[in-house]
Amino acid sequence: MEPSFPWLTVLTLLPLAAAAVIPLLPDKEGRTVRGYALGVGFVDLALMVWAFWSHFDATQPTYQLVEQYAWMPQVGLTWSVAADGLSVSLILLSGLVTTLAMLAAWRVNHRPKLFYALMLVLYSAQVGVFAAQDLLLLFLMWELELVPVYLLIAIWGGPKRQYAATKFILYTALGSIFILVGALALAFRADTFTFNMAALAAQDYSLAFELVVYLAFLVAFGMKLAVFPLHTWLPDAHGEASAPVSMILAGVLLKMGGYGLIRLNVELLPQAHLLLAPALGVLGVVNIIYGALTAYSQTNLKRRLAYSSISHMGFVLVGIAALDVLGLDGAILQMLSHGLISAALFFLAGVTYDRTHTLAMNEMGGIGRIMPKVFALFTAGAMASLALPGMSGFASEISIFLGVTSSEVYGPTFRTVMVVLAAVGLVLTPIYLLSMLGQVFFGTGAAPACDLDQEHQHREANQGAICFGTSCVVPSEAEFGDATPREVFVAACFLALIIGIGVYPRLATQVYDATATAVIAQVQDSSVTLARLPQLPAGRPVGLPTGSGLLGIVD
Amino acid sequence: MDSLYQYAWLVPALPLAGAALVGTGLIAFNSWTNRLRQVNAALIMSLLGVALGYSLALFWSQVQGHEAFHWQFTWAVAGSFHLEMGYVIDRLTSLMLVIVTSVALLVMLYSDGYMAHDPSYVRFFTYLSLFSFSMLGLVMSPNLVQIYVFWELVGMCSYLLIGFWYDRVAAREACQKAFVVNRVGDFGLLLGMLGLFWCTGSFEFGVIGERLEDLMAAGSLGTGLATLLVVLVFLGPVAKSAQFPLHVWLPDAMEGPTPISALIHAATMVAAGVFLLARLEPILEHLPGAMTVVAWTGAFTAFLGASIAITQNDIKKGLAYSTISQLGYMVMAMGLGAYGAGLFHLMTHAFFKAMLFLGSGSVIHGMEAVVGHNPALAQDMRYMGGLRKYMPVTATTFLIGTLAICGVPPLAGFWSKDEILGAALGANPVLWSVGWLTAGITAFYMFRMYFMTFEGEFRGLSFGPGAMRVGELSAEEEGHRGPAGHHAAHPHESPWTMVTPLVILAVPSVLIGLLGTPFANYFEAFLEGHGPLRVEPFAAEVDWQEFGVTAGSSVAIATLGILVALLIYRLHRVDPAQLALKLKPLYEFSLNKWYLDDLYERVFAQGCRQLARQALEMDYRIIDGVVNLTGLATLLTGEGLKYIENGRVQTYALVILLAVLSLVLASGLA
Repeated sequence: MEPSFPWLTVLTLLPLAAAAVIPLLPDKEGRTVRGYALGVGFVDLALMVWAFWSHFDATQPTYQLVEQYAWMPQVGLTWSVAADGLSVSLILLSGLVTTLAMLAAWRVNHRPKLFYALMLVLYSAQVGVFAAQDLLLLFLMWELELVPVYLLIAIWGGPKRQYAATKFILYTALGSIFILVGALALAFRADTFTFNMAALAAQDYSLAFELVVYLAFLVAFGMKLAVFPLHTWLPDAHGEASAPVSMILAGVLLKMGGYGLIRLNVELLPQAHLLLAPALGVLGVVNIIYGALTAYSQTNLKRRLAYSSISHMGFVLVGIAALDVLGLDGAILQMLSHGLISAALFFLAGVTYDRTHTLAMNEMGGIGRIMPKVFALFTAGAMASLALPGMSGFASEISIFLGVTSSEVYGPTFRTVMVVLAAVGLVLTPIYLLSMLGQVFFGTGAAPACDLDQEHQHREANQGAICFGTSCVVPSEAEFGDATPREVFVAACFLALIIGIGVYPRLATQVYDATATAVIAQVQDSSVTLARLPQLPAGRPVGLPTGSGLLGIVD
Repeated sequence: MDSLYQYAWLVPALPLAGAALVGTGLIAFNSWTNRLRQVNAALIMSLLGVALGYSLALFWSQVQGHEAFHWQFTWAVAGSFHLEMGYVIDRLTSLMLVIVTSVALLVMLYSDGYMAHDPSYVRFFTYLSLFSFSMLGLVMSPNLVQIYVFWELVGMCSYLLIGFWYDRVAAREACQKAFVVNRVGDFGLLLGMLGLFWCTGSFEFGVIGERLEDLMAAGSLGTGLATLLVVLVFLGPVAKSAQFPLHVWLPDAMEGPTPISALIHAATMVAAGVFLLARLEPILEHLPGAMTVVAWTGAFTAFLGASIAITQNDIKKGLAYSTISQLGYMVMAMGLGAYGAGLFHLMTHAFFKAMLFLGSGSVIHGMEAVVGHNPALAQDMRYMGGLRKYMPVTATTFLIGTLAICGVPPLAGFWSKDEILGAALGANPVLWSVGWLTAGITAFYMFRMYFMTFEGEFRGLSFGPGAMRVGELSAEEEGHRGPAGHHAAHPHESPWTMVTPLVILAVPSVLIGLLGTPFANYFEAFLEGHGPLRVEPFAAEVDWQEFGVTAGSSVAIATLGILVALLIYRLHRVDPAQLALKLKPLYEFSLNKWYLDDLYERVFAQGCRQLARQALEMDYRIIDGVVNLTGLATLLTGEGLKYIENGRVQTYALVILLAVLSLVLASGLA
């Protein structure tokens, strides 16, 4: 079963190696580079699908496709990559989103070589983070991802790009220090000095130590996942980045936070997780409601989508906090689903921006008449985001709700309050998403106050001037045609997966269900060691007994 | 026989295939697809036609007494948890399948005429087909989760269709309102569903009912909690079937094209709530408290809807409030445990209300030739009058529908409404009197509508005194259309595609009630019996005296209502404007819809907006401010105290947030 071919190494390093070649390519207005980068992205995605299809056994919860090479033994760094269900699903997501983001970035007319090279480096870093088996390697990959994102925002972003990029790098760099410190602490505290996650997971630490490291990781991953109150970098970064970069930021990079929480906090520090899970759940609920409320009062299209991401990430936290398989499955599915949905929405926001040259929703209005296809696709994306059944958002959120409901760790009051407050999010989501559709695409009723005067309008070049809401755009400044086939294709790729998973969630869940089950079993095992719990009735497959005295979480 | 049931999934799948095919065409080959207008419509209609045929076959098989059929597959797995989806064909489902497919097909035929000049004709048919799929899926659902799935899907279709004319501001507001109000109901439905799952570990109606009974018998589940959970589930039907207090979306939903009002907002989707209550029967029967809530909600809504319908001048709004009122009757029947009666009224109402709405659409279509494509003018009954002369078929069918809804024997509405009132009389005289009074109001407003629209002289734009101010009118007219010379002087009868469905629907509106007479109730025998259909004609237990009392009293009050309407609006013995002036507070109360819309707007819509602004303000000033150090400096230098002292908005937001946190924490620690 052990594959002889180093699949994961190749998958990780192929885009990086390809990026190194880009400066040597002859540059014809970036067309060659564009095709090249897209080709590399697609080949890597195809290889992923092939490798996991033929060499990954989803029924096993263990790490597979394991590779280990000593890299710098002096500092204990090994090139150690492997994948379990969680990694596989997120690696596939990052491959898909990054490739489609490169297809979305069709008209990069400013330093295209650098742009595509950075995209490819970012590609490698994402796969690396999800595949790393070594804490130090994970940290390196985490850092490797920061640089291209910083440059991509700072060079190709919107008007406030410098501020946004600086804020992003400060936040995330600060966060990654916590990862490093936590990793070192774990490595030194282990019986033998090691960064290997599997070895670290087998260690038992004292509870106090676990709690401290847990909090360090929580800060780091909480920043990445935009957990309240560490979230304010996100609206700036997502709002200012150009659409393809926003797609990756929202589609994949946010999920690194959730991945880290599951991989390190839950798997390595199960005792601390058992104790702190309620706090995580509370943060999740706050994220859901707070994100939704702030989203509603945003007037900028991309910032509204950015705050909606914060709201949706709250569900991930709640799912992780549920401490049962359904909840964890739902949390992972929510990451995948939000990855697809937010990438689609940011892409469509970019498509809209290409035409309107504004992101202020009150300056748009009525553009559905001019761009019916974009309208239709945007509506589909918004429906997915508000968890319409038949689309992936519903499958994940219902799973999280069921997870919290049936979690046996918490008392009924806590569960009830969590479920009710999280469900408030379900009411708030359509309010801000549908009002967004209304403001952008539906008629406003206001007569367009055209700033092109009569004479201006009759000039030859301005014949096709078009009015959105209360402002007019002359054709030389904007393309106002409907979505091109390329744009429809990109959106359709996302929507096909969103609907596919929504109609039959097992398409996605079967990849990681075994892993999630094992993780939860491990957490529950640790409760036995943790437990000064005298009465553990045997034969409970899921969950702790309700009578456990954890944090006094009893009825 | 089995193969008939094994392929029953085709019934919803065919319309879905049609919608997917044409929808994909619209996205990928827009101009091509749009050019093939009637080809697409024909495709979608023939697929639905096959579904209708299949439904009839299933229905016939159920009438023959074949067993109910269940089919399930595992939809989601997580650890040891399994969630099944599938379909069930039992008597109730087969009946609903026939109602939905037949009304949907007739509405599609009608839409070909009604939407003939609309540039989005193809998109309209796509949405219709998508809706048919969702509605058929809903009635075939075997468990609560799947009902929830399709419940939301029909809601989405409703959103898309209300917002169909998306350059109208009113449509934009209406579709958002519809979706959000329905989400509030779904919020309750979801919570109730999760709660029931928590208690019983199942989503199947029968299993939940049994286990609830066991749990309550064992004393491990309080009746109060069980009632609360079921009432939460009931919030779903409250929103979908437009019951008080979540009825406010339905009148606004009339912004959608009229065929939609007929299909979705009168005949099928809004009845889904009643259908769900019927499915909940095994759960409800153990919880008399929940039944009482359901019954009173229904009765109150019946009265509320009727009382508002009296003063509406927009023909569609009037019909919408009438729908709310009739749905109230059905819900009341469900609460009284008279499931058969409620479903019977659902069926009769589906036919005659669809016909009334399509008739109003025909009127609007005719009026548009005179007043232009302005819904404010074309739907206002004050501009109509005397239309019977110009639109004889529409007028006749509308009169039939009016008689049916008023409960004039032997038309359909008489039998079904009478059965509900009979059940109410047996259970609670107060409920009966509310229903009885509402029946009188119904007769009055329906005949007011009929007389204003079809009798007397055609008023056109030069309508008489007592309505809109003249200036207002001319401004509207000028703003919308060019010179009046473009319009015809008289309305015209609608094309055959629109008239045929009216005529076809008139048949069940007259006759279908005979299936459920107290002497030979085929309908209930079918729904509640087992094995081959067997009815004892002229069953011995018919209580002639009771029948005489209920039927007599309801015919009497209906006649009274009709007579009053006749006096005021046909014979003009009483001037309605004078009457309104005399009863000004009541008139205003009804005209302003009990001020509920204003109240909701002020409390919920503005409150939500305010809260959102405050949250953002806090996000920007405090949380982000601390990051940028400006906020920190403010807080440290005591500037921050100002916010607390003078009650600035962000402080409130902070307090709210802390309250949320502490509430959750406190309950976690408790």
